Amino acid sequence: MGASERRLKSTMGFYKNYVKKFYEDAHRAKAEKRPVAWVSSTFPVETLQAMDITPVWPENYASVCAARQVSVELCERAEREGFSRDLCSYSRCVLGSMFGYEKELPEGGLPKPDFLVTTTCACDTHLKWFQVASRLYKVPLFLLDVAYNVGGGDSAHLDKAHIEYYVSQLQELFAFLEKQAGAKLDSNRLRETLALSNRTSQLWMEVQDYRKTIPSPMDARDAFSAVFFMLCIPGSQLAVDYYMQLRDEVRQRAQDGIGVVEDEKFRLVWDNLPLWFNLKIFEYLNSLGAVVVAEVFSHTWAGSLNPSKPFESLARKYLPNLANSSIQRRVDIILSLVKDFRVNGVVLPTNWGCRMMSIGETIVRDVVYKKLGVPSLIIDVDSSDWRIYNEAQIKDRFETFFETLTRKQSGA
Amino acid sequence: MEALQRFRDCLVNRHDVARGWKSQGRCVIGWTCTYTPEEVIHAAEALPIMVWGSLGDTKFADAYMPSNSCSFARSCFNAVLRGDFDYLDGFVENNSCDNRGKTYDMWLNYSKVPSVYFLNTPHTNTEKAHRFFYQEVVAFKEWLEHTFKKPISDDSLRKTVRVYNENRTLLRKIYDLKMKKPPLISGVEFLEIALSSLVMPKEMHNKLLDEFLSDVKQRSALPKGGVRLLVAGSVMDNTELVRLSESVGGNVVADDWCTGSRYFWNLVDLNGDPLKAIARRYLDKVPSSFMYQHEQRFRHVAELTKRFNVDAAIIFVIKYCDTHMFDAPLLRDELKTMGLPVLYLEWEHSMSGLAGLKTRIEAFLEMVGGVK
Repeated sequence: MGASERRLKSTMGFYKNYVKKFYEDAHRAKAEKRPVAWVSSTFPVETLQAMDITPVWPENYASVCAARQVSVELCERAEREGFSRDLCSYSRCVLGSMFGYEKELPEGGLPKPDFLVTTTCACDTHLKWFQVASRLYKVPLFLLDVAYNVGGGDSAHLDKAHIEYYVSQLQELFAFLEKQAGAKLDSNRLRETLALSNRTSQLWMEVQDYRKTIPSPMDARDAFSAVFFMLCIPGSQLAVDYYMQLRDEVRQRAQDGIGVVEDEKFRLVWDNLPLWFNLKIFEYLNSLGAVVVAEVFSHTWAGSLNPSKPFESLARKYLPNLANSSIQRRVDIILSLVKDFRVNGVVLPTNWGCRMMSIGETIVRDVVYKKLGVPSLIIDVDSSDWRIYNEAQIKDRFETFFETLTRKQSGA
Repeated sequence: MEALQRFRDCLVNRHDVARGWKSQGRCVIGWTCTYTPEEVIHAAEALPIMVWGSLGDTKFADAYMPSNSCSFARSCFNAVLRGDFDYLDGFVENNSCDNRGKTYDMWLNYSKVPSVYFLNTPHTNTEKAHRFFYQEVVAFKEWLEHTFKKPISDDSLRKTVRVYNENRTLLRKIYDLKMKKPPLISGVEFLEIALSSLVMPKEMHNKLLDEFLSDVKQRSALPKGGVRLLVAGSVMDNTELVRLSESVGGNVVADDWCTGSRYFWNLVDLNGDPLKAIARRYLDKVPSSFMYQHEQRFRHVAELTKRFNVDAAIIFVIKYCDTHMFDAPLLRDELKTMGLPVLYLEWEHSMSGLAGLKTRIEAFLEMVGGVK
């Protein structure tokens, strides 16, 4: 079987069938004067969905621009306005698209927001980037300020005061959304949205579970496409329907013993983001007998929502996101992935413009090796700016890493 | 100017000052963000000091922190690994930026400091944020009491607030000496005075500030006039860049650094519950760039510009400070709208690339001086 035949049928044409359509719908909403909001990663997007507000994810748009190979030009456009080259490439890319670009933008650019909602849950960058957008478009910006999950606990082990602070702001958020959208919140609708989001999370985690099978039926390339619904519109029937189809296909493959790589030599965990401009790197890894069986990213976004306790469960879903947690949380997630997915190696990509993802990888590397004897590879890359990416060097690093893993496996 | 020399000595010998304090059987607590409510530490009879790095390479920290992390945070952590701060009894970190949040884990995992505390810090000053931060400050007080076995009473907090407010008021008085044309003190001198406040007991600093204010009346030789500069940015823990700017025809008369004007601009309200008033002061002070209210900082800069008759501004952004990198183009545009020439520079805390910075500052000041 060739590499393309090994990709899942469900993710073939994913961009055209779902992502492109998502942006078309958003532009249509804007044209029809229905409210459109820009939303940050780790913001409880279900609140917008429950109010029939179209959520637009600038972060996702940046990854689209990277995949379409225009992110660097857009970053340069933002740099010409004085935004440092060391800033997050997602933000530079989107700012570049806002400042005016001489060529046609992918998907016609982002629809202009009627308002913006952000949170400090993911990073400083989201607040700062959205402040720039808010000034440029002269639209209001709502901040959901979040306590840092310094204890690193999961959703069942959070600080009570952190939950209270979060919940107290959700009331203000709905008042803001009602004002912006000119409509009242329907609490039944909120419960339905949360139930859908819940189902989306469950199905997604079922999909992940099948990847424990040897050989693994699904690779990172498929996961980084399909995770789109988890992030952007989890509380929708579309997400549920798609993940059912995906789950069925992955389950079938697992049962039939069809793997991404026939003879799996190395099972890997991939931390942080992929190189959006070069997702083919995963096929290169496959060609060396390696398969990414779990991305930390894919295990970050699920949450169990209780429709009868909507506010508290949103807090419990988003507060422990590893972006908002001490390194202990990242360490705990990776340790359990390494054990549960029978992993031989961990790939820890830093992200040039991202402090949150880059600092602490040495702790992960040291603890995972000390506790489980599994080595890690730290690679210095960027998700969307290929100017600092040296493919030959990165491939060399992978090959050396796999030699180490081979020696380890043969007990040398 | 005897007092001035003593500020300088304290800066150079900062570790001896801290060790001297310790030799009297008292504790020293380090911090790196000016959103740390120092008053609570002081009321526990401990010495709060700001942790800085040093100019030069960061070879110890580089083994743990990636090269794209904040060069100030990396330099501080390098100094800790080198053993410069081995005398610390405790260290307080917060989440005022992503670098700090994640550097907390570095301190926990790799430093020898016996007790590391994390103070959750909101990024806004709504009433809900105030309520949350107050709870955090209460927990911080309890941690100090428990760890260092010193009860903190309302009375001791009130006494501390008076000492701290006096310090802020005196610093402000000295700051205003720069309104004169030419300014009565240089930018380097003022920065030495302000920085020394962060590394020595405030009572001693207040005494020196009083002495300095009486010394300065006798000052006959004024620093020579030049382009009146406002400098903006995040943190400035050394005098190198101000010295450089003043050596090529500038007079730094105003600043927007967290270790400069933003450190002492706002007082704590002496009425009512002292701990509440302390907590409130920090969220309400002239904000740093990580706060939702960042435009209030731009207004502070604009007011300084007018008040101190500023001719030009230099925005110094330390690599890789996200929040200031985002604010810099906005602040640049605000200042340009006011008709001010602006230079935007990024600098590495290690001071690599200093020669390049000098050339650019010199050219900028020549250009500004030429059109003045």
